[in-house]
Amino acid sequence: MATSPPTEVTAMRNAYVDQFPDEARVIKAAFWSSFIALAIGGTLGLVQALHRTDVFRFIQSPDYYTVLTAHGVLLAITFTIFFLVGTFTWAVTTSLDRGVVDVRFTWAWYIMMVIGTVLVAIAIFSGFLESAPSVLGSELNADVLFTFYAPLEAHPIFYIGLVLFVVGSWLAGVDWFRTWLAWRSENPDERIPLPTFMVLTTTLFWYICTFGVALSILVFLLPWSLGITESVNPLLTRTLFWYFGHAVVYFWLMPAYMMWYIMLPKFSGGKLFSDPLARVVFVLFLLLSTPLGIHHQYLDPGIAEGYKFIAMTNTMFLLLPSLLTAFTVVASMEHGARQRGGEGYLGWLKALPWRNPIFTGMALAGLMFAAAGFSGMINAGMNINYLVHNTWWVVGHFHLTVGTAVALTFMAASYWFIPQLTGKELWNRSVALGQVLLWFIGMTFMSNAMHRSGLFGMPRRTAEPQYQGFDFEPAVGTVGEINMQVALGGVILTLSLALFLLNMIMTSIGDDSESIPDNTYAGTLSGAEDSPRILDNLKLWTAIAVVLVIIAYTLPLASIIDAGGLFGPGIEGVRLSTWVDPAVIESLGEVIR
Amino acid sequence: MSSKTEQREPEHVQTLGHEEYDPIGTAILIGIYFLILVLLWIFMYFVEFLGNGPTVVGMALTVVGLA
Amino acid sequence: MRISKGALLVVVALLVPFVVEFRTALSWFGIKLTILESLALAGVLVIGLLLWAVWPENGNGGTGTADSS
Repeated sequence: MATSPPTEVTAMRNAYVDQFPDEARVIKAAFWSSFIALAIGGTLGLVQALHRTDVFRFIQSPDYYTVLTAHGVLLAITFTIFFLVGTFTWAVTTSLDRGVVDVRFTWAWYIMMVIGTVLVAIAIFSGFLESAPSVLGSELNADVLFTFYAPLEAHPIFYIGLVLFVVGSWLAGVDWFRTWLAWRSENPDERIPLPTFMVLTTTLFWYICTFGVALSILVFLLPWSLGITESVNPLLTRTLFWYFGHAVVYFWLMPAYMMWYIMLPKFSGGKLFSDPLARVVFVLFLLLSTPLGIHHQYLDPGIAEGYKFIAMTNTMFLLLPSLLTAFTVVASMEHGARQRGGEGYLGWLKALPWRNPIFTGMALAGLMFAAAGFSGMINAGMNINYLVHNTWWVVGHFHLTVGTAVALTFMAASYWFIPQLTGKELWNRSVALGQVLLWFIGMTFMSNAMHRSGLFGMPRRTAEPQYQGFDFEPAVGTVGEINMQVALGGVILTLSLALFLLNMIMTSIGDDSESIPDNTYAGTLSGAEDSPRILDNLKLWTAIAVVLVIIAYTLPLASIIDAGGLFGPGIEGVRLSTWVDPAVIESLGEVIR
Repeated sequence: MSSKTEQREPEHVQTLGHEEYDPIGTAILIGIYFLILVLLWIFMYFVEFLGNGPTVVGMALTVVGLA
Repeated sequence: MRISKGALLVVVALLVPFVVEFRTALSWFGIKLTILESLALAGVLVIGLLLWAVWPENGNGGTGTADSS
């Protein structure tokens, strides 16, 4: 490792915008697309929190589901993935030390994603109109929630928009691979730099998992909404959705993981504990992200228990890379703290740079993710899942994961990225620190109360969970208190969101600054030279991942199609039994059960 | 490793290499986390899950009974 | 100061989940706190924390070495 003697003053600014001005423009555009989605989606979250808890209702309850769809799609798909493509483009160019092959191609996929988002948004927000205009022979609306499987049906524009968005993200992946291949032809014997390795493995499992949702939309939902096919097999579209629906949570989690691995150690004042361990973690995510979607369907009739058991086993295996991450990331933070003079068994915690909003935001996001690990284990267990399935518990869980581990990490990272991309200093570090702390406190109130509501059976996806002749019975306190916690949490989160956006806007309109730190990421204690070469064999891992998917999904899909028909029970479409003897499926099914 | 990972850290009081560094604090924190996980899991399974009646069936009966 | 101001703020934030769920935990032992009592408890804890943080270490007051912002 080359280390230069410490210097106090940089001769020339060397931020990302100075190194890659063209790429910086695309990344900045992607980040702003992400922030706009965050602003709209987050505000709608407050509307829901106040409506559900009956604190303040100003929309009609049927419109609640339009709000819910917009909140889910804008935050879970648009906010996260726009931020991801920006971060990944930064990671590839920074770690390979070269620009993308052709920045026009980069702009092309970004614009494609924007067009897709706009179409989706038009379809969803038309749901608020008294009489929505009729386009393509049907009324514009898409109240299908983020989980857009049948029997809920959206306008074709919604599906077309989603397809454009996803294809745009595929092309982004092509862009990263092209850039890496170009780099490899110049550096044939070098190891893939860690950030690029993370980007490539994540992109590979994104290709594998989006295949399912593309199939679901292009073959079933889109023709159905256009009236080309008469019906669909709802269980099939559900299963194909969840084939994608759990891997997508790792897709938006991976940029947060990347930040924890390559930025958090740097801000702690140390180095990444182990490059090999980080590579193992990302390989495990490539292998295991997809063949476990059925764990979202533990209560679906029509899928045999044996298949659910396989999904549960894969899910439990996937705890491993997250626990490896907990160790590596905390050990890297401890390394930084000890280099900063921290001492004792736990006293080193005091030596961490808590005044720095980037560090504190990411550390608190990681802490919340540890709590989410617990509720995730409950969700993953086949029997104990019955306790919380489809209750508000699950909503509490994913507000800790995507709503905090991911969103708070992204916001904290923005405090570093936006100065890098604009060459302007962060407007106000104290406001930024207050913002990340407020997010933590707000989410504590909201998510904790949601978890507890789930335990006494309060349903999710419900505008008015207040029933006549029936009262929920919390173990402690009253439903009113718990609702107040949710409303209070929602208000604090919205305030925090407003402070974040204010800081981003004020930073962007501020003056150029010469004191932006260099564009670097964390070094490693144990580097790539210590990790086996086979870890970089992407073809091998992709092949194994595909085999695992085939093992986990062939039989469930075959039996779903066999029982319900490819296009629903009423239609004699292509039935699987024309290719495979049903007796074979039956006997294989018996083995699984 | 390239210049991309060079660090200038004015607040360093010492530099710890791979050999000198022993992440004992991490081990303690992870140990505490495991303990919390196990206790909460036991609580969820034995108190919340086994302690209540069958959730779905029980609720349905209550509603039907009142209707 | 025994810990930096940043760290102090973070510790105060971390107190929130403990105070919120402490009330639930106590009720398993038959002790029911009202919301006001919980708030009062939170106030006492925060004041205690502040006093601990600004109390001079080892009696030789106000060296202020630990401020690592």
